[in-house]
Amino acid sequence: MTDQATPGPLRVASPVDDADRRILAELGAGRLEALEALYDRYRAMAFAIALRITADATLAEDVVQDAFLGVWRHADRYVEGRGSVKTWLLSIVHHRAIDAVRRRRPAVELPDPELPPPPQLIAADVWPEVAGRLDAVAVQAALATLSTVQREAIELAYFGGLSQTEIAERTATPLGTVKSRMRLGLLGLRRALVGEAPEPMAEAGEP
Amino acid sequence: MNVTHDDVRDLAAGFVLGALTPEEEAAVRDHLANCAEPHPELAELGGVVPHLAESVAPVEPPVALRARILAAAAAERPPASAPAPAPAPATEPAAALPVAGPAAAPMPFPTADERSARAAARPSRLATWAMGIAAVLAIAVLGAGNLQLQGRLSDVEGNLAAATAYQEGVARVLAVATQDDAQVAILTATPDAPTAAAGLAAAGPDGTVVISMHDLVPTTGTQVYEAWVIVGEAAPVPLGGFRVGAAGTGVFNGSTALAGPGALLALTLEPGPGATAPTAPVLTVGALSESG
Repeated sequence: MTDQATPGPLRVASPVDDADRRILAELGAGRLEALEALYDRYRAMAFAIALRITADATLAEDVVQDAFLGVWRHADRYVEGRGSVKTWLLSIVHHRAIDAVRRRRPAVELPDPELPPPPQLIAADVWPEVAGRLDAVAVQAALATLSTVQREAIELAYFGGLSQTEIAERTATPLGTVKSRMRLGLLGLRRALVGEAPEPMAEAGEP
Repeated sequence: MNVTHDDVRDLAAGFVLGALTPEEEAAVRDHLANCAEPHPELAELGGVVPHLAESVAPVEPPVALRARILAAAAAERPPASAPAPAPAPATEPAAALPVAGPAAAPMPFPTADERSARAAARPSRLATWAMGIAAVLAIAVLGAGNLQLQGRLSDVEGNLAAATAYQEGVARVLAVATQDDAQVAILTATPDAPTAAAGLAAAGPDGTVVISMHDLVPTTGTQVYEAWVIVGEAAPVPLGGFRVGAAGTGVFNGSTALAGPGALLALTLEPGPGATAPTAPVLTVGALSESG
C-alpha cells in the first residue's frame, strides 16, 4: 500500500504542543501544578469524550480521573514521534472509557495508548506533521466528507466500543460491508485531513 | 487462529479501531510480533483514529473533579521537590483527644507541649509541599466520604448533591490552603460524635477560615454547629455557627486573628447561635499546621 497523499503545507509542532510538552516534562518531575495545568487545558475535551462513550456522568468523571492519574504516573510513556500530548491524553481517555463500558461484556482489549504500539504503527509517515495542525473543526469537516454509513461504522466502533460483528448485527449489514465501510471511511478521513481532494464515494461499489 | 500478511491488511481497519473479535485481535498482534515486513496500512489507517476524539464538542466536567484528581495525584506521589511525606500527624488530634466531658465541663484538648511537639514533627514549609499535604488531607477525607456516599447513591438521589456540595466545599478550602502562609487542618470525629463527621479546613494569611464538613447530623430548630478556635491553654473562642441540612454537609466561612500553627479548630452542636463558650462536647477537631 503506497502512500500517495500529497501533504498540505507542513508546520513544525504548534506552540500549543510545545507548551504541552513542557507541561508534561514538569508533570513527569512530580509537579502537581503541571497536572493542574494539563487538566485545565483538556478537562472539557476529556470529559466530553468520556461522556459521549459512557453516557453516564459519574462514570465519565471516574474515567477522566483515571486517565489523568495514568498520565501522572506514566508521563514518561509519552513518545515524541507518535503525536501531540493532547492526542496522547485524549487517546488514554478514550481507551479508559471504552474499557469502562466494555467491562459489562467480554470484548477485545484495545491497544493501551500508554504502552508502546507495535512498531508497524509508528512507520514513517506524513501523519505526525499533519496531525500537529488538526483541530476540532478540521476533524468534524473530515467526518462530514464520509458517507453516512461509513461515519456510522466508525463512530459505532470508536464511540460505541462495538466490534465489527456487533455493528453488522446492529445495522443489519453483512460483515464484509461493515469491514469495507470502516476501511474506506478511515481512508476518506485521512484524505480529508491531509487536504487531498476527496474521491467519489465508494459506497455504491460495495457488496 | 493464524493470519497471513495479507490477512492483516484486510483486518487493519478493524484492528486500529479496536473492533476485531478477540481471536482476530490476538492473531494480528501475534503476526505483528513476528513479521519482519512493514505494514504501512496500519500507520495509514491508525493515524486517523486518535483524532476522532477531537470531533466531540467540549463539555465542562463538575468543578469538584479538579480537586479530586489533584488530591488523588498528591496522595499517590508526593511532589519531587518536597521532603519525605509525613501525613500521619494530621490524624493525631482525634487519637490524642480524650473523651470530651459533659456539657459545660472544660474541654479536654492536647496540651500546648503536645501540640508544639507535633508541630515540630511537621514537614518543611515549601509552597509545593503545602499543596501536596492539603491534597493528601483532602483525599483522606474525600475517600472516606465518597465510600459512604457512594454506598447510598443508588438509593437516594439527594446524596449526589451532598457529595457535590462537600467536594465543592473542599475546593474552596483548597483555594485558601494554597495561598502563601496558609494553614490547613483535617477535622476528624471525636468519640462523642454520633457520626463519622469529618472535613477539611484552611486558614488564609488574612485570617479567612473555611471549613468543609460531611456526615454531620442535620441541625433542627435553632441548633447550630459552632466553630471554635483554641490556642494553647486559652478558652475556646467562637468563630461563628452554621446550619446543616439533610445532606449532612456544611461549609463554614469565618475569620479569626488566632489561627496559627498548632491552634485547634473544633465544632460543637449548640442549642442556638451566639454561644460564647462550648456547652456541648466537641464532635470534630483538627490542628492547624502552617503550610506556606
